[in-house]
This record gives sequence, structure tokens and C-alpha cells, in this order.
Amino acid sequence: MTEPLLAVDGVSIAFGGVQALSEVSLEVRDGEILALIGPNGAGKTTLFNVISGVLRPDAGDVRFAGRSIVGWAPHRIARAGVARTYQIVRPFGRLSVVDNVAVGALVHARTIERARNDARDVVGFVGLGAYADRPASSLTLTQRKRLEVARALALRPKLLLLDEVMAGLTPTEMDGMAEFVLHLSERGIAAVAGIEHVMRLVMRISHRIVVLDAGRRIAEGDPAAILTDPAVIEAYLGAPLGIGG
Amino acid sequence: MKRAAAVLAALVIVVLILAPLRLNGYAINLLYITVLSIGLAYGWNIISGYAGYFSFGQIAFFGVGAYATGLLVADLHWFWMPAAFAGGVLACALAIPLGYVMLRLRGPFFAMGMFGMAQMVRVLVTAIPATGSGSGLFLPPGSGITEVYYWTLAICAGAIALTIWIDRSAFGLRLQALREDEQVAGTLGVDTTRAKITAFALSALIPGLLGGGYALFLTYIEPDAVFSSRLDLQSIVMAILGGLGTVWGPLIGGLVMTQISEALWARFPQIYLMIFGGLLVALLIALPRGIVPAIADRFAARRNA
Repeated sequence: MTEPLLAVDGVSIAFGGVQALSEVSLEVRDGEILALIGPNGAGKTTLFNVISGVLRPDAGDVRFAGRSIVGWAPHRIARAGVARTYQIVRPFGRLSVVDNVAVGALVHARTIERARNDARDVVGFVGLGAYADRPASSLTLTQRKRLEVARALALRPKLLLLDEVMAGLTPTEMDGMAEFVLHLSERGIAAVAGIEHVMRLVMRISHRIVVLDAGRRIAEGDPAAILTDPAVIEAYLGAPLGIGG
Repeated sequence: MKRAAAVLAALVIVVLILAPLRLNGYAINLLYITVLSIGLAYGWNIISGYAGYFSFGQIAFFGVGAYATGLLVADLHWFWMPAAFAGGVLACALAIPLGYVMLRLRGPFFAMGMFGMAQMVRVLVTAIPATGSGSGLFLPPGSGITEVYYWTLAICAGAIALTIWIDRSAFGLRLQALREDEQVAGTLGVDTTRAKITAFALSALIPGLLGGGYALFLTYIEPDAVFSSRLDLQSIVMAILGGLGTVWGPLIGGLVMTQISEALWARFPQIYLMIFGGLLVALLIALPRGIVPAIADRFAARRNA
């Protein structure tokens, strides 16, 4: 059996007595799209923070491409091939769109000119070409979401952590984002997509689903099995499964 | 446009170089203090303008440079120029471990922390018996105002050149990214610790080098004179007025401030500080991001119109 690209193994973390994650485990294989679903506060963002090195877990291990990355600085994890986006978009407001993306491109480019060239390609790829030289603070929310993805892609990652990429988008834009993530997967980029609702899209893009609730993994499986899982229905009590979006 | 700017810059440089030949004592002292403050503003602008770590303590490195130069010249009989250079290198070397600790603080905590750090450095320096403690240190006569002026002018020009490089370099882009959002910069592959410590060390090198010149200018140094909050604040205000994190902000801010200050002092010697303070507040309200960004916006608006 080959080593998975990402292996989260028994990760726990608490903040001042609140157990944010309890022994969470999951695996992602090359090119796979794993949907990480769960209600608000389930621990999805915390898990992304642990994987990307922003937070250090109290217990457990995170292995990427066979190496334990717990305790690595975020920049080292990013350079190893793990890129992430933020749920609440966080552009470098005073920098141009190109420069926002060039920061990530610097990981591979030798010079700033090359980084900016690479960044221009990525900016065009996500459809922000017309705004390349504007300050990032002038973008709309939808455009900022794309900028988040562009910055992450500029790292040329093997794994993308997408924190609530669908939040705040219109249904049409969600479809566009879904196509985009599938397209990346075809090009071999694995993704963990954190999604609160919008089951329709979860079903369409994900190869597998992991369900978090109150910091615990309560279910894991292929999309069809997850929908009928009693524990999942329980966690989403009141949340309209299959209707959102 | 570009050509006109180059001609103007060349003219300014020639005037600044020839200035000591024609100016009287008061004018040359004033010019020296102006160039010195602008140099300090450039030093401060790297860590606080580009990297976004607002420091109220960079004057500590100025004091270290001044005292190191004083000791090397007075006790070890070094020639002033290598002594002043050594002072800068020492300040820069000191900044690396200090930065490693201090740059864990953010925002107002860093600003206040640096203020405290500067007081600590001041106490430590004056605790060394060779510095004459609180009573001060005399430097043997040797170098005059002309040498000090040229030294300071050269450091200031070097600081501007360094800033131009930072503004265009990958290093500068990393600094600006961490200024905007340090956590995001980290997850985009920026080694934020390394970038900000480098910026901090450069922001210490410049006042360190300038401090040596100041020691020679004063010929007698004591803690209050070289760990001068007045010089520190003055250079910070220059950088902010001109435009934080811009190449020409400290220069423009410095020139505007000095001109206003001199003009007011000559006409209203009793109340000039009051008028000056009021004018400064008015300017900062009118141009909250400083003079240079305001002008840049005006040009950008015209181009897009």
C-alpha cells in the first residue's frame, strides 16, 4: 500500500478547555478531492490551521508525502507543497493583484520579474487578468475569493486546502468554483474542501467525504454512503441536506 | 518627466556636496541635522514602513553607534571613520538577537516594547565604566563638521539607495506581504521570522552608522544627547508625514518639516512649536497616508481619467 499524500493521525487540540479537535484522522491521496463537511464550529478551520502549520496540535501527527510536518513553520509546509485559502478572504490590500500572487510565486521563481510573470499567468487563469494591476483592496468579494485561490496556486501545490470556498458565492459562481476544483484534480492537485452546507456541490466534486462535528470525526465514506448515515443526519439536524445551494 | 527628475536629482546632489564650502556655521549645522534626521527616517522606514513593525526604539541603535565610536576614538585612538563604521556594524549585530526576541511582539506591544528596550540599552551602555556613566564622554578633537556632514550625507544616500532596492526586490515584496498579513504571508511560503529580523537589522545599521557621526559632531556625548527621544520622534514624524513604506516619503517629509519648522521659528520664536504642532495635525488629517501616496493617487487618477 502506498503512502497517502496527506495523513492526519489522531490530531487533538484544545483552546483554554474547549476541545476544538479530538483525535481526528483522515487521509488524502494524490489528486483526490476530499470534502470536509460539518456545521459551523465543527473544527474545519482549526484542522486547516493545524495542517498548514499555523497551529501546533496538542497530540497526534500530520504527515505530508511521507514526512511528519508537525512543528514545521508555515512557510516550510507551504514550500513542501501544501497551499491553503482562508475562509474570510485576506488579501494584501495595499499590494496589486499581481503582487499578491507573486508572493507565493517567489517560492519557485528565482527573481521578482519571473515571480511576477508567473503570477500574471495564474491571475489570468483564475479570470482576474483585467484587474492584475489594481490594488487587491479594490476587488469584490467574489474576485477576492478567486485571488485567494490564485495565491495558493502560485505555490504550485500538490495539496490545496480550501476553507469554505463556496461561502458568499452565488449559485452560478459556486458551479464555476466546483468546475475549477475538478479541473485542478484532473491536473493532479489534491484538495481538501471545507464546506458547511451546499450538499449538491459536495456530491458533485468529492471523491470522499469526512464529516466533522464538535471536533470529532463522525463519519467517513463515499458521498452516497454519507448522505444516509444516521450520525450525519443527526449532526445536521435542522440543516436541509441536499437542498442548499 | 523621467529626465527632468534625473537632472533635478543631479542638481540637488551637487548643491549638497558643495554646500559646506559656502555655508556659515549655523547653516551647515542646520543642514547636517536635516540630513541626519532624514537618514534616521529612512532607517526607521524599513522596519516600520515596509515591514509594518512600528518601533519607538530605533534610537537605541543610534546611541550604541555613538558610544561605540566615542570609546574607539577616545580610548583606543582609532581614526574616526573606521570607528563610526564599527559602531554601525555593532548596532546591526546587536539587532539580530534583540530582533529575535522583540519581533515576537506585535502592534502596540512591539512599539511599547521597543521603547522599553531603548531605555534598557541606554542603562546598559551607561553602566559600562569606560563610557563615563551618566556624566558623559569627551572625544578628542580631530574631525570637523565638514567630515561629519559628508559622512552623514553618504550614509543618507546609501539609505535611500537601499530603500530603492528594497522597494523593487523580492525581499521588499516579502516585507510588504508580512506587513499586510503576517499569517497569510507565512502560509504563502514567506519565512517571516527571517524577513523581519533582516529588516530590523538594516533598520539598526543605518542609525548605528549615523550615531558615530553624531558623537563626533557633539565631541562630548552623554546619554540624554545620543539616546534622544526628540531625534527619534522627529524622524518618525518625517517618515509618516512623507508616506510610510514609500521610497521618497522620508526625504519629502523631512524637507517639508524642516522648512516649515525653520520658517516658523524665524517669524514666531515664542510660539513656533505650537503653530508647528497644529500645522502637523492639519497636514496629517488632510493627507492621512502622507504626502507621497497623496501625490501618487493624484497622478494615477489623472492617468485613468
